[in-house]
Amino acid sequence: MYDVLIIGAGIIGSAVARELSRYNLKIGVLEKELDVCVETTGRNTGVLHTGFTYKPGSLKAQCCVEGNAEFDKIAEELKIPFKRLGKVVVGFTDEDKQSLLKYQDIGRRNGVPGLRLIDKKELKDMAPDAGGEFAMYSPTSGILSPFIYNVALAENAKQNGVTFYFDTEVVGQSRNDNYYILKTTKGNFSTRWVVNCAGLHSSKISTMLGIPGYKLGFFKGEYYVLDKNAGRTLNMLIYPAPGPTGGFATHATPTVDGNVLIGPDSVQIDCLDNYENTKSSMDKLFSDGRKMFKNMKREYCIRNFSGIRPKLIDPETKDVLDFVIERRDTVPHVVNLVGIESPGLTCALPIARRVIKCIKEVETLYDRKNFNPCREEIICFANQSREVQQQLIEMNPDYGEIICRCETVTKAEILQAIHNPLGVNTMTAIKNRVRAMMGRCQGGYCQMRIAELMQEELHKKETEIMYGRKKSHMFTGKVR
Amino acid sequence: MNTMDKDVIIIGGGPAGLAAAVELKKRGIHNIVILEREKYLGGILRQCIHDGFGLKRFKETLTGPEYAQRFIDDIQKFNILYITEATVIEITPDKIVTAVSRNGLLQYRAKAIVLTMGCRERTRGAIGIPGSRPAGIYTAGVAQSFINLHNMMIGKEAVILGSGDIGMIMARRLTLEGVKVKAVFEVMPYPSGLPRNIEQCLNDYNIPLYVSHTVTNIKGRGRLESVTVAQVDEQMNAIAGTEKEYKCDTMILSVGLIPENELSLTCGVNLDKHTKGALVDEHYQTNVPGIFAAGNVLQVHDLVDFVSMEAEHMADSVASYLYQEGFPPSHISIIPDDSVGYVLPQYISGEIDVVCSFRVKKPAKKCAIYVLQDGKVIITKKLKMLFRQR
Amino acid sequence: MKKNFTCIICPNSCDIEVMFEGNAIGTVNGASCSKGIEYAKNEMVHPMRTITTSVFVQQGIVPLVSVKLDTPIPKEKIFEVMKFIRDIKVTAPVISGQIIIANILGLKSNVVATKTVEKV
Repeated sequence: MYDVLIIGAGIIGSAVARELSRYNLKIGVLEKELDVCVETTGRNTGVLHTGFTYKPGSLKAQCCVEGNAEFDKIAEELKIPFKRLGKVVVGFTDEDKQSLLKYQDIGRRNGVPGLRLIDKKELKDMAPDAGGEFAMYSPTSGILSPFIYNVALAENAKQNGVTFYFDTEVVGQSRNDNYYILKTTKGNFSTRWVVNCAGLHSSKISTMLGIPGYKLGFFKGEYYVLDKNAGRTLNMLIYPAPGPTGGFATHATPTVDGNVLIGPDSVQIDCLDNYENTKSSMDKLFSDGRKMFKNMKREYCIRNFSGIRPKLIDPETKDVLDFVIERRDTVPHVVNLVGIESPGLTCALPIARRVIKCIKEVETLYDRKNFNPCREEIICFANQSREVQQQLIEMNPDYGEIICRCETVTKAEILQAIHNPLGVNTMTAIKNRVRAMMGRCQGGYCQMRIAELMQEELHKKETEIMYGRKKSHMFTGKVR
Repeated sequence: MNTMDKDVIIIGGGPAGLAAAVELKKRGIHNIVILEREKYLGGILRQCIHDGFGLKRFKETLTGPEYAQRFIDDIQKFNILYITEATVIEITPDKIVTAVSRNGLLQYRAKAIVLTMGCRERTRGAIGIPGSRPAGIYTAGVAQSFINLHNMMIGKEAVILGSGDIGMIMARRLTLEGVKVKAVFEVMPYPSGLPRNIEQCLNDYNIPLYVSHTVTNIKGRGRLESVTVAQVDEQMNAIAGTEKEYKCDTMILSVGLIPENELSLTCGVNLDKHTKGALVDEHYQTNVPGIFAAGNVLQVHDLVDFVSMEAEHMADSVASYLYQEGFPPSHISIIPDDSVGYVLPQYISGEIDVVCSFRVKKPAKKCAIYVLQDGKVIITKKLKMLFRQR
Repeated sequence: MKKNFTCIICPNSCDIEVMFEGNAIGTVNGASCSKGIEYAKNEMVHPMRTITTSVFVQQGIVPLVSVKLDTPIPKEKIFEVMKFIRDIKVTAPVISGQIIIANILGLKSNVVATKTVEKV
């Protein structure tokens, strides 16, 4: 019997698990995929937002400002690659200026620090690559690795006693006297509390738990990933001024690893299983991208991907609604989260604290004595000085074997990723943890070595090696 | 970290690096070292188990491993120093080379550096194919490595995008191992590999080749389930209504090779935007004095024989460079016209005879090559046939 | 009557045209060398091919040894030969040039290792 079962191991589920692990509770996380960050969390721009576009007083605004302010501490505790680069939202016309002033005002009302309009000269000094006549400067915007952040939260939760179940999809529930039985593809789980962190599937799970009526709209955003050589001079986030509808047009965002993301666009879709990149979006992103980022060239493109934002839509007005974080007396012991989309990454821990507040309204939670908020990272060989690299190799010769040449990832790092604390073992899991296969050759050099290492280390047959998703077999057998 | 002094450091122990090392030794340059990132010498030849190599260089037909062994035997015979499992991570303009090995970081100071890192394959992301991203999509070289070196079979039903030689070689290899290869698709209006490979790799096994066709969609969530293929017009745009879906669990990409010049960039070598290799003079010297390049890192060759021969010529230049301490400047540029993609070398001194290599943009029969200086034709060479390959 | 072939002997890939009358082969045009002429004539009567593949190695430092046929076999025998090779296992060390299977299926062709695989 669990005290709390969390449905979904994305950034929200993992943050809730980590925050709840501060208390004396038996906690489990049920995830339908083979790893954390497979859906929305692993498919976005990786930006730490500040909160100047959200309606004052909304949960989105409150959580975003709170999450942004505390992130240096979080990144330190959990060892998450993070850079507070700052953002410029650039404009050309009077309309743009009005738009920027409007957002500056919203930002100030939300408590976003440091927002100010800057002139062309200051803009050029700050971001030589940016076009535009003027801009709004947002000093607290940042970039982070969404993969590592999600992994770190989950690992830290696990370290503090939480159990993670992967490949475990919740398909039904029943309520006994004072507990729930969650039916999953891996059998039944009993729990006193259920937290719905199912992201894309949150309205479906909400209905299953007895809270029907939420209507999600799914908006797909496509991206190009550009080579590190394209991003050498991109030192901050450069966004165009939002148009009348409020959305940002195509923009270029550096990643913490030094690549550049071009995108996302936004196209409403009805099928949830649809991460396909489409010719129309790819072509549009390419031509829009070229207008605003000088290195948007075919030779720098290394990958495309897409993500889906589950937006809660008002059925009448079609407006996008705020996050839902609720506990209803009529549906006891359920904390229901629906419509968590951007800025979900920034808001994850503030949302988690609000979930705990919901639980505390019903029962007293007792602190776990030896909660440890810190998580150890896998040391990134490539980012170390020559002296440290030499010491690492002397300490462990596996640091002297480069497996992924594009990202300079060593065997020592790959082995740590293979034996990761969550016990996840897909190729994508390795990639998300140590960047191997993420570079310009996309695994052309290291994929076979990693597949072989996985077999050796985990005593798996080649037919058991998965690329990322369920049933994503890499191999059909041996040649001989 | 000790810095070791060398006359020449050779980056990469594939066909170009091996040939360069042996030639340098023959020219009396002894204080050299090959740095190879893999466990074994031989580079990509190790996985090219098919035959057809060596006719130009050795006047006999050899398989890839046999071809490599010819040079490795010489390396051993001449006692040439090589270090395997040593990945070079940095080259500086003043020719300090840093490599990572299990024995620690290795640092060398060289009088000359030979860049022979070869090339890498263009990937799906580089050409931007729409669709989902399931497992089962491999570049031809990756598939070849899995099958020929690692004993792992990659699928049961395959289609191949791109008619490069490796793609066709893999079509045959997969067929021999019981995979159903449904078709090869080429976006250009002509095949990009050698006609002999169309004959012996595709026609022999009744594998259809469709030119002016490309993949327009990929389906599959876990593993690849199907690809959609369409005919393209002259602007390479898919023609609506010509789409056809092929069920398959595997797609092999043979869509081009790119010289691997990331290290060259670290030491300030300027690249040619067409070859993606270094800009060189008639001595294969880059804009950084004492840094030379040859083989697929300089220009992607069709035959390994040409790689070895180019590397040998380069090694001769490197030897001269060391003996003479430099070359006269090469200020004359060779500029290709619209029908020619590129010409190597890009710069010449005008002092000595030079062999040029070039790649035409389209195949042609019964044609001629003209070399002009100041608007006057100085050389005419008539040719029976010109291939245009990747 | 005439028939056209793409020569597979070397990368030149000559287009060869063979004139014939019933079973009698007449002039051969387009080949750049004598091997090409011989190839085209052979293609008219009985196409022959060599193949290359791999054999499983026990106790080797790598799992496979690459092999080739040292003389061509009839084209239609390729899959029979592959089937036979597929079930063969050799034990390391294997030396490049070593005969792995002599006179495979009585076709007067040997399966020969094309690389050396040392013992673990």
